[in-house]
Amino acid sequence: MALDESNKPFEHPVYSVLEQIPGGAIGLTTLDSLLTWGQRNSLWVFPMATSCCGIEFMAAACSRFDMDRIGSIARGTPRQCDVMVIAGTITVKMAPRVKKLWDQMPEPKWAIAMGSCAISGDFYRDIYSVVPGVDVFMPIDVYVPGCPPNPEALLEGMRALQQKIEAQRNGTWVEPVISADSHGLRAPGIPRVGSPSREDSVDEAQLASVQGMGLGGAEKRENE
Amino acid sequence: MIPDDARALFERLLEEKDPHPEIGPRVPCDQLLAVARALKEELEYRFFVYCAAAHFPAPKDAEEGTPAEILVAYRVRRLGPGTVTVPFHVRVPVDTASPSLASLYAGADWQEREQYDLVGALFEGHPDLRRIMMPEDWEGHPLRREYAIDTPHFPWR
Repeated sequence: MALDESNKPFEHPVYSVLEQIPGGAIGLTTLDSLLTWGQRNSLWVFPMATSCCGIEFMAAACSRFDMDRIGSIARGTPRQCDVMVIAGTITVKMAPRVKKLWDQMPEPKWAIAMGSCAISGDFYRDIYSVVPGVDVFMPIDVYVPGCPPNPEALLEGMRALQQKIEAQRNGTWVEPVISADSHGLRAPGIPRVGSPSREDSVDEAQLASVQGMGLGGAEKRENE
Repeated sequence: MIPDDARALFERLLEEKDPHPEIGPRVPCDQLLAVARALKEELEYRFFVYCAAAHFPAPKDAEEGTPAEILVAYRVRRLGPGTVTVPFHVRVPVDTASPSLASLYAGADWQEREQYDLVGALFEGHPDLRRIMMPEDWEGHPLRREYAIDTPHFPWR
């Protein structure tokens, strides 16, 4: 859903103005590369840090690795951010909260799953309270493996995301086919976002869960 | 009112040879409050360290109708120089409430809620016994032995 929207070329009011000027369309190619450069070099990051990967994220943001130099500034609110970095295990109780924050981010937006837990749940995968990979409920653009990934790996992930954005804007991006089967892995019970076998009822149930979030005890009994 | 025999009972229990020193002597369920009150008000164990529960299914070779049991272990501490802790525990059949210590130790409130949430231990006289860690709509108590670890929870796992 969100993936399809981000695949569309970026539409800017300047385009329609330039197109009306004779020969103005030639300027679009240069302007477009300028806009692409601007977009890929100002990825503000929302750190969704729930466990030890968050510490590595902090290291990547601090002076030794300095994520600021590629234009990635960490912000405390999803409404100012372009990229959500999910750094840590997401539990069943946390999942609706993460989805709510993701839905609050303005388009265009991207997501990086940082570390084994965010990618697949890792060795917590089968535990009753852990979501087996965050792509069960939101689209992920870049998977950064590691437990936890070191700051270099995260910066490499940011670089991969920049290349993806560049390819998306140039129109050369091909969405890779990802499935657990292709790697000989056991798929989670709920298909990942964007998978052909995923049903709309899953999205509806997840949305209902987000909306009913936090209603507990007396409050919930009143509603019933 | 502190029963005179509570302190004596506890000291006798401590003297008995205990195969599990880490959970301390087993206190009869109906005397738990009296023992805790004696510990707090007479022996000055005023700091509540923890309350932890565990689920014990009936053994396979047990008689028909033997209920599964919940063990609730407590530990309290005497503060100040020469600080020392004392453990004690109760064992009750599943779905039977043991007395709550929340009226005596404020620190027991959330700890007992946690044991109720995860193990399903029930506490009689607890002011607000509801879930504290799992989502509000969770079904079952995940740290019970019969709870399958890979139980699905639609729509999140």
